[in-house]
Amino acid sequence: MAVANTQPVAASRAVEARKRRQREEELLVWPDLVFIEFISAVLFTVLIVVLSVLVDAILLDRANPAVTPNPSKAPWYFLNLQELLLHMHPALAGVIVPTIALIALGAIPYYDNTTEGQGEWFSTVRAKLNAYVGAAVGTVGTLLLILFDDAQHAKLYEKLFNGSDTPPTVTVQVEEGGKVIDKIVKNPDFNEFPIAFLRNARAIQNEIPWPKSWTKVPLGDKLIRTDLLGLPRISLNINIPGLLVEQIIPVTMMIGLPIVLSIVAWKTKIAQTKRDHMILQFSGFIAVYVTLTIVGTYIRGEGLALVPYTIFAGDH
Amino acid sequence: MAATESPERRSMGDRVYDAIFSNRVWRSIFRSGYPNTPRNQMLAVATNVFLHLHPTRIHRTHVKITHTFCLGGLSFFLFLGLTISGVLLMFYYVPSVDRAYEDILALETDVRFGQLMRNMHRWMAHGMVLTVLMHMMRVFYTGAYKPPREFNWVIGVVLLVLTLLLSFTGYLLPWDQLALWAITVGTNMVGSAPLLGEPNRFVLVGGFQVGQAALIRFYTLHVIGLPLMAAVFMTVHFWRIRRDGGLARPL
Ligand code: HEM
Repeated sequence: MAVANTQPVAASRAVEARKRRQREEELLVWPDLVFIEFISAVLFTVLIVVLSVLVDAILLDRANPAVTPNPSKAPWYFLNLQELLLHMHPALAGVIVPTIALIALGAIPYYDNTTEGQGEWFSTVRAKLNAYVGAAVGTVGTLLLILFDDAQHAKLYEKLFNGSDTPPTVTVQVEEGGKVIDKIVKNPDFNEFPIAFLRNARAIQNEIPWPKSWTKVPLGDKLIRTDLLGLPRISLNINIPGLLVEQIIPVTMMIGLPIVLSIVAWKTKIAQTKRDHMILQFSGFIAVYVTLTIVGTYIRGEGLALVPYTIFAGDH
Repeated sequence: MAATESPERRSMGDRVYDAIFSNRVWRSIFRSGYPNTPRNQMLAVATNVFLHLHPTRIHRTHVKITHTFCLGGLSFFLFLGLTISGVLLMFYYVPSVDRAYEDILALETDVRFGQLMRNMHRWMAHGMVLTVLMHMMRVFYTGAYKPPREFNWVIGVVLLVLTLLLSFTGYLLPWDQLALWAITVGTNMVGSAPLLGEPNRFVLVGGFQVGQAALIRFYTLHVIGLPLMAAVFMTVHFWRIRRDGGLARPL
């Protein structure tokens, strides 16, 4: 009898105590929060006014559709996509990848629906470790892939195995139609990068002797019923080496490398919980995003070649 | 009150205070008394339509600057600043290919504080893209997207997209080489999508080339369509923060 009576009383006392403790940890929004908000609003107003007095927004010449600037760049926050565009099919870089990236971003809470690590900065055991690993792999991986696609490894090889006195091309004089003319040909003494088809991604298409029939596989006009939309029928031809280089390889990389990262992190016990994997992948994503943006902004110059670019037109 | 206790010795300060705060006009605007007691402080927040986006009490840890770095609040602050400076810019700008560029030039040279207004709008726009991205990172690394806040994260992603689109549509308006070609590059990316890409690009640009039709479309989206949508989603975002029990806290 006594037990039955005291039990609920004790329980409600505990609840009371917890409530009281919570109340004690709470502050009033006025003045504590309103004050902070007010101060930071004033601070940032001053900051923006000072910045705007010191630095003018850029204004170039009047728009002229006849004059294409070189390089032409999208606004800076889209330069990551423009950078992707250099390495894969435009439909992939311009539409499919960003769409899937946004859906994946929105799906994060539905995948990682645990409550661990909630409400505090890096509060799980391996949170920081995974953030560092993800960020490092994302940055280094992106840079390596960009350098590879720019044939930097081949250029390095050729620099190491050729003296400065062996240029890659030489001018020879040949007779053509009774006249002697200058012609630029490959230097036979020049040590070329030996694995020609690994020069960059595009070389896989160009340097491998693909059967001619593979470059134009007709699929007919039955596959895609554009006539239903009132558009003319499209007769599709598939270029298999092109498909491989522009779509299959990039997609495999973009899906495969994150999976490999997670598997390695899982096997090495770096990432053990859902939250760990989420931090790993998100940090990797942010690092890739930032790296692509910086490369696209500062080291894509004329002809979008990999050269330092200082008048960063994308940033004003 | 002081008046009934010692009618002779009311100081100047008391009388000024009463004249400002204890009259019918002031009381008709602000129902709560001066917020110098906890009760009045809570009433000040709860009875004011703007302040009552907040709860009346908040957990200690959330007031620490390093918990949020004020990033969500700053995004909102920049949005408000952009609205104000944007309205001022609209007074001087006509979205026509014949006038737009000249209007911007005139704004920079002939209009008092015109250059300052344009600079502020531009820097705040860049700033907002940055603060929204950083806000997303802070929400992620504090694990604040977890149940019950999943849907607010999704709303956040929509807000991120709207922020980028707002900035992108504004980019065309000065009608200089930078604007024209950035938008050409950007809309060509849309056009490269399989099948529906080209029709979509056509609708967005209003033709085959970025010209007058594109300018008026981008302008309309920039000054009314997208800001309205952003305002609606922000309202839901803030509402959800309160419905989800304030900011996330360790369990
Ligand atoms: C225009 C853009 C945005 C505005 C104005 C905005 C505003 C805010 C504000 C004022 C807060 C209160 C706490 C704080 O300041 O950090 C907040 C919280 C939150 N925001 Fe945003 N936000 C925006 C975009 C985003 C984005 C892009 C995401 C995520 C993808 C996001 C997800 C969240 C979540 C989940 C919370 C709750 C955080 C918690 O409980 O600690 N928001 N937002």
